[in-house]
Amino acid sequence: MAQLPSRKNVRRGTVSALAATLTLSAAACGGNLSGGGDGEAFPQGPVTLMVGQDAGGSTDLIARALAEGASDELGVAMPVVNTPGANGALAANEISGEKPDGQNLLLINASLTAITPLAVPDGAIDINDFTVVTGVSRDDYVLVTASASELDTLQDLIDSDDELKFGTTGVGTGSQLSQELLFEQAEIAGTAVPFDGGSPTMTAVLGEQVDVAAIQLGEAIGQIEGGELVPLLTFSDERNQYLPDVPTADEEGYDVQVSQYRAVVAPKGTPEATVERLREAFTAAFGTEQYDSFNEANLLTAHEVGADQVIDEWAGYRESYQAMIEEYGIDLSEEQ
Amino acid sequence: MDLSSMIEGFGVVLEPTNLLYCLIGVVIGMLVGVLPGLGPAATIAILLPLTFGIEPVTAIIMLAGIFYGAQYGGTITSVLLRLPGEASSVVTVFDGHVMARQGRAGTALGIAAIGSFVGGTVSIVALSLLAPVIAGFALAFGPPEYTALALLGILLVATVGNGGRVKAVIAACVGLLLATVGRDMFTGAERFTFDSLSLADGLDFVPIAMGIFGIGEILHGLEERNQAAKAPAKVANVWPSLADLRQASGAIGRGSVLGFLLGILPGGGATLSSLAAYAMEKRRSRTPERFGRGAIEGVAAPETANNAASTSSFIPLLTLGIPANATMAMIFGALLIQGVSPGPQLLSEEPELFWGVVNSMYIGNILLLIMSIPLVGLFVRILRVRSTILAPITVLITLVGVYTVRNSVFDIALVIVFGVIGYLMKKFGFEPGPLVLAFVLGSLLESSLRRSLLLFDGDPFGFLTRPISGTLLLVLAVVIVLPLARALLRRRAPERELESSDV
Repeated sequence: MAQLPSRKNVRRGTVSALAATLTLSAAACGGNLSGGGDGEAFPQGPVTLMVGQDAGGSTDLIARALAEGASDELGVAMPVVNTPGANGALAANEISGEKPDGQNLLLINASLTAITPLAVPDGAIDINDFTVVTGVSRDDYVLVTASASELDTLQDLIDSDDELKFGTTGVGTGSQLSQELLFEQAEIAGTAVPFDGGSPTMTAVLGEQVDVAAIQLGEAIGQIEGGELVPLLTFSDERNQYLPDVPTADEEGYDVQVSQYRAVVAPKGTPEATVERLREAFTAAFGTEQYDSFNEANLLTAHEVGADQVIDEWAGYRESYQAMIEEYGIDLSEEQ
Repeated sequence: MDLSSMIEGFGVVLEPTNLLYCLIGVVIGMLVGVLPGLGPAATIAILLPLTFGIEPVTAIIMLAGIFYGAQYGGTITSVLLRLPGEASSVVTVFDGHVMARQGRAGTALGIAAIGSFVGGTVSIVALSLLAPVIAGFALAFGPPEYTALALLGILLVATVGNGGRVKAVIAACVGLLLATVGRDMFTGAERFTFDSLSLADGLDFVPIAMGIFGIGEILHGLEERNQAAKAPAKVANVWPSLADLRQASGAIGRGSVLGFLLGILPGGGATLSSLAAYAMEKRRSRTPERFGRGAIEGVAAPETANNAASTSSFIPLLTLGIPANATMAMIFGALLIQGVSPGPQLLSEEPELFWGVVNSMYIGNILLLIMSIPLVGLFVRILRVRSTILAPITVLITLVGVYTVRNSVFDIALVIVFGVIGYLMKKFGFEPGPLVLAFVLGSLLESSLRRSLLLFDGDPFGFLTRPISGTLLLVLAVVIVLPLARALLRRRAPERELESSDV
C-alpha cells in the first residue's frame, strides 16, 4: 500500500558533502587538463549542478554521470544537489535567483518549459529566462500495452470498441500530451488516468488496470525485453536506436513528436567566457567512454547540441504543442 | 525453481569481499536507523558514488544491508527516546517507550531484535520460494484495491491511539485535511498552496512526523521539566525471559506473515506493515487495555513486521523491476548505474546477482542479531546523555536531517511549525499517531479513489465487481458494523423480550 508512504516518508537524499569530497579528490588526482588562461576567474570553487527531481531518477542519474566527467575537466568538484518540487519548477526558480557567475547550474527537462505550462500556466518556466550551456540527451517515450492483453498493435487500439483507459505519468507530462494527441488524431476514445511517475504507471499497465500507457524508454525496456510489455510506437522524430523495429507515430501518419530533452542551464546573464568554459567541460564529459556506456545503459540518445539550437527547439516545441492542443481542443488540466 | 543457482548464490555471498561489504552495510544501516532524520534512502544516495567501482552484486549487497539494518536501528531510539528513528518504528513507540519507563528497555530491545531476525528470515525463505508466484499477485492490486486498503487503514487508525476515540478521530481528520494540500495530481489545480512552490507537491511526510513526534515531544518534556528525551538509566537484561518470549511468540509469527504480505505490494512497505501488525495484535488480544501500557506484543509485532516487509519489498524490484518504495528506487538506480536492468529477465540472465543478493540477507540478518544485542549497550551509552545536552542535539539533528531530505529550508520551518502543533496536541490530550498516519493514507486514498472512478467511468459499484477490492470492502463493512451491531443488540435485548411477549 502506498505509493504514498513511499513517496512521502522515506528520505531521499542528497548528498553534497561526501560527493563533493569524492569528486574533489578525484579531481586532485586527475589534474586540470586545460590549465591556466581564464581558469583564474572561473571556476571559483565547486560548481553546483542542481536537479529538480529526486535522487535516483533518470534526470538525477544523468546529472551525476555528467558531473563526474565535467568536474575532472574543470578541476573543481561538481556536487549534484537535488531540490525536487513542482515538477522541477522549484529548482528552476532557485537557479534563476542565483548570481550569474557559472557556479550554480541546473540540469533542466524540456517538459518543464514546453509541456507543464500547458497544464499549469501559473508560474510557467521559460527556457529564455536562462543562459543555456549545452543540450545533453533525448529520452524517448514509448507507447506500451501488456503482452497479456489483446491490444498488440496501434490498429488494435483504433479498432477497439471499448473506451480505452490510458495511463499517464502525471498531469502536464510528455506521457500525457503524447497520448492525448495520438488518441485525438487517431480518433480513439480514451480516458487519461494519471499516476505518480513512470514506475506506478508501468505497474498499472502490467496489471492491466489501464490498457495502454506512454512511458520513458529507459523505465520500460526491462519489461519490453522480458516480453511483459509490447511496444507499439515511439513518439520521437526518428526511430529510436535501441528499438529499431518499433515505428514512430510520425511513420504511422500521426503528427505527434514528444520526447524528453535535457539541457544544462545557468542563470541568465552568465558571461560568455564562463559559459564557454563550462561547455568545454561538458563536451569533455560527453567524450568519455564512461558517459557513452552510461547513455547506452539508460537508453538515452545523445543530443549534445549548442545553446541556440536548444532554445530554438524548446521554444518551437512549446509553440507547436500549444497550437496542437488548441486545434484538437485538448485540455491537459481537466479530468475527462 | 533452479536450486543449483540458488546454492551458487551462497558461494557468491561467502566470498570475503562480499561478506565484508555486507557487514559494512548492516553497521551503517543500524547507525542511520538510530539517528532520527537520516534514513536508508538518503544514506544510499550518499554512498551511491562509492559503488561505481565495485562489482554489482557487492554493491547491492551493501546497499540492501543498509536498508534492513536501518529497521533494526530504528527501534532503539523509539524505545529509549520516544523518537522513532524510522517511520516504520513509529508504532513501536507506543509500548516500547512505556516498557523503557518501566525499566524493561532491555527486554523491549531484545524482543525487537529477535522479532526482526525471525521476521527477516521468514521473509527471505518465503521470498526465495514465492518470488515468481507473488509477482503476479501483486499486480492484481490496482487503484480500487489501494482505495479499499487505505479506507481500512484509516479505520484502523482510530484503534491505534490511546486517547479518547473522539480525539483520535479529530486528529485523523486533521491529518486527512493536511493531505489535501498541494497541486491536485489530476487537474494541476492549486490547493492551499498560497502560491508557494514549496507547497506545490503537498506537505512532506518527514517534516510532519519529525516535528510532531520529535520536536513536539521535546517541547512537552521541557515544559514538564521532566527531561523528556531522557534515556533510561539502565538497560539491564537484554535477553527476554522465557515468559516474555512465550508471550511474544504469537505476535512474532503473525507479524512475519503480515509484514511479508504487505511488503510485497508495490508501494507497500515497512511503515504500513508495522502499523497493521500493531493494530492486529491489539484487536486479537484478550487484554487490549495492556496496549500502550507496555505490552511486549506491541513491540514484537511491528518490529517483526517491518523487517519482514523490508525484505519482501525486494520481490517487486527483483522480479518485475518495479521499486516498491523510495529506498528500492535508490537500489534500482544503483543497479542501472551498474548496467543491470532489473526486471522479469533478471532471474534468468543474472542468477548470480539475484541469488547473491537474496542469500546475503540471511547472512546480514544473522550479523545484525549477533551485533544488535551486545551493541544495544553501546547505543544506550551513546544515548544516555543528560537531556539538557541531548534535547538540543536531537533538535539540531532533526533540523539538519530534515534539510538533507530535499535540501529545503522550507522543510525546516515545517518541522518547527509541526513541532509546536505536536506540543499543543500533547498538552491537550490528542494522540499524534492518528494525525500522522491519516496524513499518509489520505493522499493515497484520494488518488486511488479518483483513479478508480476514472477506470470505472464514475460507477462506484465497480469496487464490488473486483474480487480483492470487494473482499476488502466486505472486511471493512464487518469491522464497522460488528461493534455497532453488538452494542445495539445489547441495548435492544431487553426490548425484544418485551416485544415478543406482546405477540
